[in-house]
Amino acid sequence: MNRTPKMLNSKVAGYSSLITFAILLIAWLAGFSSRLFAVIRFESIIHEFDPWFNYRATAYMVQNGWYNFLNWFDERAWYPLGRIVGGTVYPGLMITSGGIHWLLHVLNIPVHIRDICVFLAPIFSGLTSISTYLLTKELWSAGAGLFAASFIAIVPGYISRSVAGSYDNEGIAIFALQFTYFLWVRSVKTGSVFWSAAAALSYFYMVSAWGGYVFIINLIPLHVFVLLIMGRYSPRLLTSYSTFYILGLLFSMQIPFVGFQPIRTSEHMAALGVFVLLMAVATLRHLQSVLSRNEFRKLFIVGGLLVGVGVFVAVVVLTMLGVVAPWSGRFYSLWDTGYAKIHIPIIASVSEHQPTTWFSFFFDLHILVCAFPVGVWYCIKQINDERVFVVLYAISAVYFAGVMVRLMLTLTPVVCMLAGVAFSGLLDVFLQEDSSKRMGTAISTATEVDEAEDSIEKKTLYDKAGKLKHRTKHDAQQDTGVSSNLKSIVILAVLMLLMMFAVHCTWVTSNAYSSPSIVLAFHNSQDGSRNILDDFREAYYWLSQNTADDARVMSWWDYGYQIAGMANRTTLVDNNTWNNSHIALVGKAMSSTEEKSYEIMTSLDVDYVLVIFGGVIGYSGDDINKFLWMVRIAEGEHPKDIKESDYFTDCGEFRRFGELKLDYRGPSGYDRTRNAVIGNKDFDLTYLEEAYTTEHWLVRIYRVKKPHEFNRPSLKTKERTIPPANFISRKVVYSAALNELD
Amino acid sequence: MRLLHKTLLSGLLVVAIFAIYAAAQSKSKTGLSLSEKVQNLVDMNAKKPLLRFNGPKFREYVKSAPRNYSMIVMLTALAPSRQCQICRHAHDEFAIVANSYRFSSTYSNKLFFAMVDFDDGSEVFQLLRLNTAPVFMHFPAKGKPKGADTMDIHRVGFAADSIAKFVAERTDITIRIFRPPNYSGTVAMITLVALVGSFLYIRRNNLEFLYNKNLWGAIAVFFCFAMISGQMWNHIRGPPLVHKSQNGGVAYIHGSSQGQLVVETYIVMFLNAMIVLGMILLIESGTPKAHNKNRIMAMTGLVLLTVFFSFLLSVFRSKAQGYPYSFLFK
Repeated sequence: MNRTPKMLNSKVAGYSSLITFAILLIAWLAGFSSRLFAVIRFESIIHEFDPWFNYRATAYMVQNGWYNFLNWFDERAWYPLGRIVGGTVYPGLMITSGGIHWLLHVLNIPVHIRDICVFLAPIFSGLTSISTYLLTKELWSAGAGLFAASFIAIVPGYISRSVAGSYDNEGIAIFALQFTYFLWVRSVKTGSVFWSAAAALSYFYMVSAWGGYVFIINLIPLHVFVLLIMGRYSPRLLTSYSTFYILGLLFSMQIPFVGFQPIRTSEHMAALGVFVLLMAVATLRHLQSVLSRNEFRKLFIVGGLLVGVGVFVAVVVLTMLGVVAPWSGRFYSLWDTGYAKIHIPIIASVSEHQPTTWFSFFFDLHILVCAFPVGVWYCIKQINDERVFVVLYAISAVYFAGVMVRLMLTLTPVVCMLAGVAFSGLLDVFLQEDSSKRMGTAISTATEVDEAEDSIEKKTLYDKAGKLKHRTKHDAQQDTGVSSNLKSIVILAVLMLLMMFAVHCTWVTSNAYSSPSIVLAFHNSQDGSRNILDDFREAYYWLSQNTADDARVMSWWDYGYQIAGMANRTTLVDNNTWNNSHIALVGKAMSSTEEKSYEIMTSLDVDYVLVIFGGVIGYSGDDINKFLWMVRIAEGEHPKDIKESDYFTDCGEFRRFGELKLDYRGPSGYDRTRNAVIGNKDFDLTYLEEAYTTEHWLVRIYRVKKPHEFNRPSLKTKERTIPPANFISRKVVYSAALNELD
Repeated sequence: MRLLHKTLLSGLLVVAIFAIYAAAQSKSKTGLSLSEKVQNLVDMNAKKPLLRFNGPKFREYVKSAPRNYSMIVMLTALAPSRQCQICRHAHDEFAIVANSYRFSSTYSNKLFFAMVDFDDGSEVFQLLRLNTAPVFMHFPAKGKPKGADTMDIHRVGFAADSIAKFVAERTDITIRIFRPPNYSGTVAMITLVALVGSFLYIRRNNLEFLYNKNLWGAIAVFFCFAMISGQMWNHIRGPPLVHKSQNGGVAYIHGSSQGQLVVETYIVMFLNAMIVLGMILLIESGTPKAHNKNRIMAMTGLVLLTVFFSFLLSVFRSKAQGYPYSFLFK
């Protein structure tokens, strides 16, 4: 530190870029490895429900090529309707992993597509932390950026969607989100067409990857709008927004699933409105410089009124004509919070769409959730164009996260950024050495602090003491009236908090977010050993080996993707819940008496019925717990036949084990999930027979008998009637037709 | 022979007519005929959508046998002396249903809405062996009401929508609820806008406060507090303020991680605010000031940050089973 300033500066610059590089690399590695719990504990496997579809689609694309994928009509889903997959997915995820696969194979590295799919999200988490660093650097400082990068690498709110094996859109979309925002902020700062075109390209990638792109196309116009209100209009803003909007609009319409939505639905109207407004403001500014004051005022009033009325009338007419679609249900439920519960049971039934308790905020973000309002405060105190953006980002994201648990994901990056601002501000104060030297070394201290921070976060306990001693030595001199002892205590406390954050993240990741949910693990309470339940895959494997290739399997929609992905059999409904009435029909079949549901099942050509039963091992997410929703959804479409109140007992509880449900026989009649003996044991099924039951009774498959197979229920003598003469022949024709269909 | 036959036949006919006439006569003495009853009900309904019955009328129109119409009856106690707060709300909702039905296209003489007040017809309550109010009952066109014909207001509540659903379930007549439009929200909004507008107009010469960053910062930070402490959850789910715990005390914290209480969210909001205050004090202590002040600020900030964060962590710990980490205290 006692060399000449010039030497020091060049050296500092070299060191700081080295340190930045090192920290980002370490953050990437730490983020990657903390997402591997699931792979290490279980195996390299795709998780949950939606990832199975994505995996299946990716495998299809790799096998059959891009154009075949775009035109893929999947007749194995939504039987008998089928599904046009190419036109109803966001293809970004498949293209990304397919591209990586292609590249590796060009380089002669043979990797199975499944491994790429499993490890895609952890790899992209590193890219996310780099783009978060870049964005925070634009907004505040490099030090804050490094903090934010290390935070987002390990924060549970993001890990929950990006563990290895969770091959879903969100994994790559958060990277695209952060990178688009970085490019946008850069383009507002510089006003260059290059950066805003880059932002539009990145936005294109985001549109292709995730439906959450709507967040971008509303937040950026909001930013522009607020800047206009604040009187911060500049030609830079005009250039960057008009470039971004026009290019982004054209790009986003290239995705088949999005199509013409960007010019028709109300979700995209804000962007158009702001574009028009910005143009109007720019025109007025220009006229103001040309015309005299009096003329300008006249023009302003008349023109403003005319334009206002014109826009209003146009919007009203377009809405009346039905060109502009109303809000889609999911977005409507963000504003009117009671809407979904009453009108759309299929949205309300998904646990991700519930509001968020403070517990989940703290669980997912820990200290960051307490620290980020500090960042908001300082961003407002020292406001400029870009910080307006981050404040708006924070406020809208925190609102949406409050409404829906699932949108915690969009809150997490901004919380990491603002908490990074807060912590780097804090340590800037307490780690500075001398007010006279402060200017020259500000960057280096900040980064050094971050490095200390970072390594402590990663290695948690090992070398904390050594680093701390090192730090305190540096702070021997005092300047601002806070004694060095106090300073070191504050630093120690803050480091303790950050260490607790790192430990918390690891604990949460390991305990809450690393279960593949198709392979379950439980600890035996007697001898503490760890058992693995592989019932799902057992059942799906049985299906794939023992049933006809075109067998149709009926299950509740949660398991549709898994059956298609693992057993490769035709399903009736799946997790892409696009056809509510079809789901309701399945729900009706599940919740009616056996005879009635047999009618429905034959009309749908069902061969097998798959139900999940957790009563034996105490698995709580089984079909009986979902039964309430089957009834509600079925009631929504068939109010005549299914009534929710029929399924309540007199005391108002759900009568779950009634004779109405097809198939629940506990081994001893005792249900471990609900701690109750079931209502009626030992009943016989007439129209179905048990085909397969897995080891722990978790998955039970029933075969639907063909009309000629089952013993029809015996009728009492007096109830018997002689069938009309043509009855037999019709029956024969019917079953012949059935056989032909098969 | 033929003549005799004819005479006998006509005689029989006359006797039969007499008998029918007599029967009709005797019937009209005991009660109204079916068509008369329906006519009366329709006439009454033309005046009032919701019929108000006393004991004899109830027996006449609801209890007695020849009926081809269903009745939805609310048994209630509206007199202020009965002190039934809930009855008034129930009455309002019921009246909305009755009105919506009366002026809808599905209106017919198959279904009528009626109410019996306890003070008008206490014998009805005795007859039906009721000792609570309000009760909603459905009297089907044929047969006696069964268990399911009494609406379970503990489970479904008595909002107009759930009454309509109950009616639809029991009688297959669906009623679309038309609430008289509620202008209170609009009025409140207009008042607010007017207040803000007039405030701005009065202060038009001094609009400096709009540029006050502290004000905007405080608003933004407060909004963040409200959201991260789960106020939106409270708004949607409407949890109780506090719980009564088993041993008679009052629980301020919900025991499980799935729920929360209203008081709990305020506690969490306070803890978060204190932590944020602590961090801001720590950061502000870096700006050059009088010697002593910075020191005090730094110390206060440190104490606030660590103590309240430990508090928050221990509250969190009490809700999450098996969470192993704590700071300063359990």
